[in-house]
This record gives sequence, C-alpha cells and structure tokens, in this order.
Amino acid sequence: MSKKPTAGPALHKVIMVGSGGVGKSALTLQFMYDEFVEDYEPTKADSYRKKVVLDGEEVQIDILDTAGQEDYAAIRDNYFRSGEGFLCVFSITDDESFQATQEFREQILRVKNDESIPFLLVGNKCDLNDKRKVPLSECQLRAQQWAVPYVETSAKTRENVDKVFFDLMREIRSRKTEDSKATSGRAKDRCKKRRLKCTLL
Amino acid sequence: MKEFDDFNFSVEKYTKDLTRECVGGSDLQQRKKEIEAYNETTAATLKQTCKKNYMEFIQTAKEISHLESEMYQLSHILIEQRNILATMTDGKTSSHLKAESLEAESSTAAEEVENSHATRAVKEMVQGFNGNLEGKTFLNEGALIELDGNDYRPIQRVFFFLFNDVLIVCKVKHDKRLDFLTEYDPKKIAVINIKDLDGVKNAINIITPDGSKIYQSITAAGKTEWIEKLEEAFRFDQQKKPKKGQAPQPPTRAKQQSKSTTPEKETTPQSPGEPKSLEDETPEWLSTASEEIQTLVAQRHFEDAQELIKRTQDFMRNESRKKVPLADAIESKMKQQELKLINVLLKELSNSHNRNLQIALRAAKRPLKILVEMGRYRQASATLLKVCAVSLRVAQREARRNNADISELFFCDLTQVACDFLTAFEQQPACVSALVVWCNAELQYFASQLIKHYLTKGTSLESVAKCVERVRKPSTKLTEIGLDISYHLEGLLRTTLESLIEESKERLLDSVGRTEESWQPYNLQTKSNLKRLLLELDVLGIDVRAQATGDTWINLTQSTVVFIRHFLQLTEYCGCLAKCETLLQSLELLLKELFIAQHSLKPPSDMAVDPNFVMKNKIFLVDNLLPIAIDKFRQISGRQCEGLRELHTKMSRQQGAPLPRQRSVYTTDVF
Repeated sequence: MSKKPTAGPALHKVIMVGSGGVGKSALTLQFMYDEFVEDYEPTKADSYRKKVVLDGEEVQIDILDTAGQEDYAAIRDNYFRSGEGFLCVFSITDDESFQATQEFREQILRVKNDESIPFLLVGNKCDLNDKRKVPLSECQLRAQQWAVPYVETSAKTRENVDKVFFDLMREIRSRKTEDSKATSGRAKDRCKKRRLKCTLL
Repeated sequence: MKEFDDFNFSVEKYTKDLTRECVGGSDLQQRKKEIEAYNETTAATLKQTCKKNYMEFIQTAKEISHLESEMYQLSHILIEQRNILATMTDGKTSSHLKAESLEAESSTAAEEVENSHATRAVKEMVQGFNGNLEGKTFLNEGALIELDGNDYRPIQRVFFFLFNDVLIVCKVKHDKRLDFLTEYDPKKIAVINIKDLDGVKNAINIITPDGSKIYQSITAAGKTEWIEKLEEAFRFDQQKKPKKGQAPQPPTRAKQQSKSTTPEKETTPQSPGEPKSLEDETPEWLSTASEEIQTLVAQRHFEDAQELIKRTQDFMRNESRKKVPLADAIESKMKQQELKLINVLLKELSNSHNRNLQIALRAAKRPLKILVEMGRYRQASATLLKVCAVSLRVAQREARRNNADISELFFCDLTQVACDFLTAFEQQPACVSALVVWCNAELQYFASQLIKHYLTKGTSLESVAKCVERVRKPSTKLTEIGLDISYHLEGLLRTTLESLIEESKERLLDSVGRTEESWQPYNLQTKSNLKRLLLELDVLGIDVRAQATGDTWINLTQSTVVFIRHFLQLTEYCGCLAKCETLLQSLELLLKELFIAQHSLKPPSDMAVDPNFVMKNKIFLVDNLLPIAIDKFRQISGRQCEGLRELHTKMSRQQGAPLPRQRSVYTTDVF
C-alpha cells in the first residue's frame, strides 16, 4: 500500500514564454510530435510531457506552453512559479515581440527571484530571414546583457528546435546537481545573492 | 519439543525435569544444543510466515486500491450521467427556447435559478463548509478525479463547485456525501490543459497556492468545459461588468409594458404628418423591434412577434423609411428575425405530431395559421402533411393491433386532414394539389397495409367482401368534400382482389361434388330442423316450402339444398364486390362456373337412382335458384349479371327439349 514515489527519470519543467503568435506552440509541437502546425489557435495553457534521452540518460521533460496574449498576463505568475527553466521566444519578424521579451524576463526574475534561472532567448521563424525585423546583433546584445544563450530557431524547418530544448534541459540538470551538491554553505551563498537582488528591485 | 507449545508450559518445571532426566553434563549440553536448534528453526519459520503474510497483505492492498480507483471511475460516470439526466429534465421545457435565442432575460432568470439551486446544493450536501455563497454566480459543478502528481494514479474522487469568486473542492465519500476539503480563489489559481501526459486522458493541472494538482475528467467535453469555466471565473470581474449593464434592460416588466403598449400607444405618434417624426430619425419601437421579436419568440408569443414583423415591414415600405438612417440594417435584421420565426414555427409544427390526429391537428393549428399569414404556404403545408402522415399511420397500426376497423378510421382521418387542410389553405389552390398528392400516397400506403394484413391469400370471399365493403363505403363519403379517391382505391386493390376471386373460385369448384351424394330426398329428421332450414332459406330469398313433403323431408337432394344456401350467400358477397365494375367479369365467371359444376353433377353410373329425381334437382336449380340469384345480384350490386342471365336462358332452353324424353323414359320404366 505504500505510496512511495517511484524513482523514475528526472523531470525537468520547461516553460515557454513570449508574445502571442511568435510560435511557442509550434516549437512545442514540433519538438513533441515532429510536426509543424500551420493554423494558429491561441493557446491558454497546455502542458506536455515526454521521455527523452539527454546525454545518454533518460529524463522526462514537462513543457508548459503558456498564453502569449496580453490578457493572460495576470495569471502568468502562477504558471511561472512551477517552472525550472524558460524558453523566452520572440519572432525575428516582429520587433514588438522582441521588445516584449524584456517584460517576460523581468516577470520571471521577479517570480523566481533568481537571476541565474535556466533561460534561453529564442528568436523563432528564422526561415523567414527575408522578413527579418530584428537585427541579429541586437538579439545577441540583449542575450549578452542578460547573460543567457541566444538561439535562432524555425519551428517550420525544425532548425535548432531540439537544440533549444536540450540546451535548456542541460542547464536545468546542472542547476539541479549543483543545488543538491550545494550543502548549507553554498545555499547560504545563494540566499545572499537573492537577498541582494531583492533590495535592488 | 512439544511441551514448548503447551499452554501451561513453565520454564522452571521444564528445567527441573530436564536436569532430573539427564545424566551428566554432556547429555545436558546435548539437550541445550537441541533446544537452541529448535529456537533457530522456530525463528526462521516465524520470519517466513511473517513475510508471507506481509506479501499477501500488500497484494490485497494493491487489489483494494485498484478496485477503489475503479469504484471512483464508476461513480464518476454515474454522477456524470445523473447530471446529464438532470439537465435534460430541467432543460426539457426551456431547452428549445434557449437554443433559439440566447436572449438575456431568460438566461439571467435561469442563472438566478441555477445560483440558488447550486447554493442550496452546496449547503445541503457539503459537510464542513460554512462560507457565505449569497450573491455569487454559479458557474459549474461536477465530479473529477484527483490524480497523483507523480504516478498519475487516482488518489480520490472530488467534486467541484465553481462560483465566480470561489472554487469549492469537496471530497466524495463512499456514501456519496461530500466533505469540504478546501476552497480557492479562481483568480489565484492557474489552469493548465494537460495535452500529453503518458496516456493520461482528459486531465487538467490546477496550480493552486498550495501546490499543483492534477484532476481528471471522465470526458473530453467535461475537461474543456472546466477549462472554460475556470477561465470565466478568472476573468469574471472584467467581463461581467459590461454584461451586467445590458442585462437589466429587457427583463420581465419591460417586456410586459412594451407588449401592451406597442400595439396601441406607439402607433399614434407614428402617424404621418406629425411634425415630431420628421426630425425623429428612428422611432424607438423600431430600433428595439429586433430584440423585442426575439423575446416574443422565446416566450412563444408568436402572433405578437409576427405582428411586430409585419408592422416593421409595413413601416419600411411606406415613405417614412427615408427618415430612418439605418433602414437597410434594420430591414436585414428583420428579415433574419422573420426567417428565425419561420423556422421556429416550422419546428413547432413538425413537433406537433401526436398519436391522436385530432390532437395533432389542434396543436398544428396555431403555428399553421401564423405561417399562412406570413405567406409560407408551401413549407407549412408540406410540414403539416408530414405530421399528419405520421399520426395517421400510427393510429392505423394501433387500430390494427386492437382489431378495430382500420378502414373507417383511415377515411375519417383522411377526411379530417382534408377538411382542416382546406380551411387552412383556403386561398391557396396551389396547396390543394399537395393535398391530393399526399392523399394519394397515404391511400397507397393504406392499400398496401390492407393487402398485407386483411387480404392475404386464402381469405374467404365472405371476409374479402366485408373488408372491401368497409373500405368502399367511407371512401365514397369523401366525395362530399370534393375528393374522389374510390376509383384510385379500386385500382390499387384490383389485382389482389382478382387473384383472391380466382383463388376462391378454384377452391369452390374443387369442393363441389366432394360430398357423398345419395340422390335421395333430404331428410332433416325433425320438424324443427326443417322449419329452421326453411326460415334460413327464406332469409336468403328463396322459398322451398313447395318442396317440403311430410314432416321432415325436402324433395331435393341434400347437396342441392346445401348448394342453394351456399350459392345464394356467394351471390351476396359477389354482389357486394361487383359494386365496382372492374371485378364484375371475374365474379360472374365464378358464379357461372360454380353453378355449371353443380348443375352437371351426375350420379355415378353404378348407382341406382331415380333419373327423374336427378332431373328435378337440376330443374329446380335452373328454374328457381338461378333467377333468384340473378335478381339478388342485381339488387346488391346494381349491375346486371349478364353471364348468369345467358346461362339461365341457355339452360332453360336445354331443359325444354330433353324434359319430355326424360319423362318418357321414366314412364317406360314404370310401365
């Protein structure tokens, strides 16, 4: 009768964020099912789970595909709390979506209260390079400022789709091992870090 | 070592006994070793038994939890079903109204009802909940299964009550009681649609202040509904405000007021020539007409709705139209409303079918009248006839099962439909043709039923005649309303009847001469028998008193007497059937051949009979029976039976010649 949680594969919780229509769901579905969904239907909040092999180790990835639309902004806090890593997606053909990433980043940091939370800046729709509105240099600059990696993807051609998810999972994994290794001393360290940030904000 | 198991085992006594028994230390040592070994084995068996029991316990527990989860699922399904039933019974009366127009008034009313309903339900059913639910809007309720976040196994069955600002989570106990677990503010929870989770279907993830929880719905629809409703609750305040502003506009009192005022009060200010209306772009009633119609339709005030539509159209048609800036928009809206009303009425009309035609017709009257007034003759007539057809056929089937007379019923119903139809569509001659076509179709159906159930092979002519008679009589009555279907009906039944006549003819011919004939006068044994027979034949129209001799004798053979009776009866039936010309020929043939068969009966050559007596029978048949039969046939059918008349003349001529010879034979025999 004992309900011991079966020590299954490690679970990494990834959250997709970004403005509406940038391709969060398309990336997710491409990663999950290897298919590109053309028709656009605004997401509210969908979650997916998949077993993948990460560097020879079987892990589970839990993807929470959130709503990009502004009217869901209020509820985002609730979702973000459960995330271990974030893919912050914008469309390289839409400058507004790029500007919005700033806001998402701030919100995540506020909710997670952790500057070094696993985070990737993802410029989607790179197959539409001829319609590019956001210069690559600007994207890279922002990623540098945040100290996060920047990757350009295409949900349509599947370019870098696996890469962003696996890169993020690796970061999450290393963060977890770091955390578990980190004994009280280190934990205190991070607490300090956090406190600092609080005062800053 | 048995003594260890003894209940009264005492260590001291045992050791004493042991020391007494044992000789020397080595023996004692041996004993000690033995006891130690026993100790060890006992411990081992104990351990084993323990383990076995434990394993069994685990196995059973697993089974129990498995069964438990199954029970959850089952009762969940049951609850779902109950909800469906409840909504069906609740919504039965209001469902079509709702579907047709989601008009604000009824929905707010329904909401209120639902609110109080749900509030009461929560108060009654949920133990341990003391929150105040006054003034909250009920959004949804239902059973869900809470799943374990790690292995997705069902943990417990829960029941949700969702109000605009609170989500009440209850545990469903085994006795179906609800135990209050917790409540959440819908604005503080996040709902995630679980699209893919190791095959767990229809699950949602609710992130609450106290952690993330997975709930499973039985159906996919249930899941989507919860996601929607929870979102609705989440946005309730932003959303409801503008809605609330609209809602109070049309409720009950407003509608009653406008209903009573629109016809009288508003027509006056609208009269042309009034200076005010020149500046006034759109009269108020006109701008609200569309909504008003929706309300009226929903309240089933179809007449009022139709009137309003008509009024609007009239208004649009005359010159005041130019003063209305949104004339086109209003007009198109009106057209929509009109179509909607027509659809509603048609639906109403097609729903009016009933087992009882009268009831169906009565129910159809109202929508019919409005549809006719709206000029929808064709649709209305088609629908009405469809409805009638159903009623008619159902009634016939029922009558048949109860052995009632279906013909009468059919024609009465047909008449009724025709009458009602003609009154309803008086001004529309085009529709009458639809009626005729319909009658034709129904008639065909009726005839096929008749043939299938009443005119089956082997039916006696008597019942055939009765059946046909029953059909014909009322069918001719239809001519009173200008509908002559008897000819058509005859045509439909003709082939069947003809084959039936043919068949009976063969049967009857076959039976002629089957009886043993002694060619002796018929002895009826008693006076009363004779009397009864004479009376019977009287009724059939033939008087054989002249042939009666003695107290009990008839001076004809038995088979002749039987044939007389039978033939006259047959003549009656055939006469009935021959009322229609088409069958005349085959009927005549039947009678004729039958008569000839009887007439040509001859005593076997080896039988000693009085030839004069044989002749006498024949003469009686030709001279007495045949004219009576001919007459009878004519009387009943109203037609001359040429075949029999020919036969009569032929036979009497034949008789004329041989008669003397016969007599001479007879005399020579005597002398």
